Amino acid sequence: MRRPNSIVRTWALLLSAALLYLPANLLPIMTVRMLGDGTPDTIMSGVVTLARHGMYPIAAVVFVASILVPTFKLIGIAMLLISVQRHHPMSAHQRLLVFRFIEWIGRWSMLDIFVIAILVAIVNFGSLASVEAGTGAVAFASVVVLTMLAAITFDPRLIWDNTESGNKHD
Amino acid sequence: MARPTLAYGQVAECARCGYELLRLRHRFVGPGLALVLAALLLYFPANFLPIMQLNLLGRVTDDTVWTGVLSLYRSDMQGIAFVVLLCSMVVPLLKLLCQFVVLLCIATRRAKSLGMLLYRTYHHLREWGMLEVYLLGILVSIIKLRDIAELSLGIGLACFAGLLVVQVWLELVMSPQQVWEALAEPVDARR
Repeated sequence: MRRPNSIVRTWALLLSAALLYLPANLLPIMTVRMLGDGTPDTIMSGVVTLARHGMYPIAAVVFVASILVPTFKLIGIAMLLISVQRHHPMSAHQRLLVFRFIEWIGRWSMLDIFVIAILVAIVNFGSLASVEAGTGAVAFASVVVLTMLAAITFDPRLIWDNTESGNKHD
Repeated sequence: MARPTLAYGQVAECARCGYELLRLRHRFVGPGLALVLAALLLYFPANFLPIMQLNLLGRVTDDTVWTGVLSLYRSDMQGIAFVVLLCSMVVPLLKLLCQFVVLLCIATRRAKSLGMLLYRTYHHLREWGMLEVYLLGILVSIIKLRDIAELSLGIGLACFAGLLVVQVWLELVMSPQQVWEALAEPVDARR
């Protein structure tokens, strides 16, 4: 059985995720306070800090999980939807690759959220040093959950529709 | 393409790429139950014992998976606290309980329809259990904290890593084809 209204529902989830994508990347996801001085960290500045300390491999992992993957998911799911709706010249095989990749990689974006949970719990020395989660983290967690839901809502059977001369969907 | 018939212990691989298509194990219920119980035993120390401790000028704080959730909740981040609770604690536990009941259903040859329902639930839950992502999160945190203060790793981390290993092993032992077959067949449940 096909999932009802798969395309419309996936679009709704995807657009909500896209709206939250900007605050997720621009607002601070956490603030590190040392002796009263707070330095807000956005997702990108966290990656830059890691790279500046010479920890390139881990900086690369965080960059891929927190920036590349969410961006690729938003674009990838949108491409799948458009290609199914508008007979875009994308073969079933290409669509399948995109879909499988998105399904498999989506969960790894939660990495930063878990790091925040760990840091908030452990860096807890009152006025000496503390870490607070920021509003960016809420937006970021929502982007991850919404794109995961969008990937689940997308009916993989649509992949084989409209490849050459199938029916049009809406 | 016809599905190959296998004898016990044989593996069917794709002739071109070597991908494992089917594997018929002699026994999966016994080893499966042993692994589920091991995972359930590891679950509580993994989530409630300290993963690491931070020592800053003589003051020590520690971190467990559970205090991570709690601290987020207390700092007015209920939404994120809920997502972390779900992905790192609730779903992994539910997955293990589903697998446990499914194996019990197969072993006792009772309540097969319940087993089917739970095994289907298990497949829906799979994606939302994120122990391996959490472990990577621990690694990133360790690297970030190294410079700030003195860090020591706790017993909870060992249990957490153990839980992850047992869980992956369990997934390898419970091959879906054999589980579905065992749940569907009324008489010949393979032990």
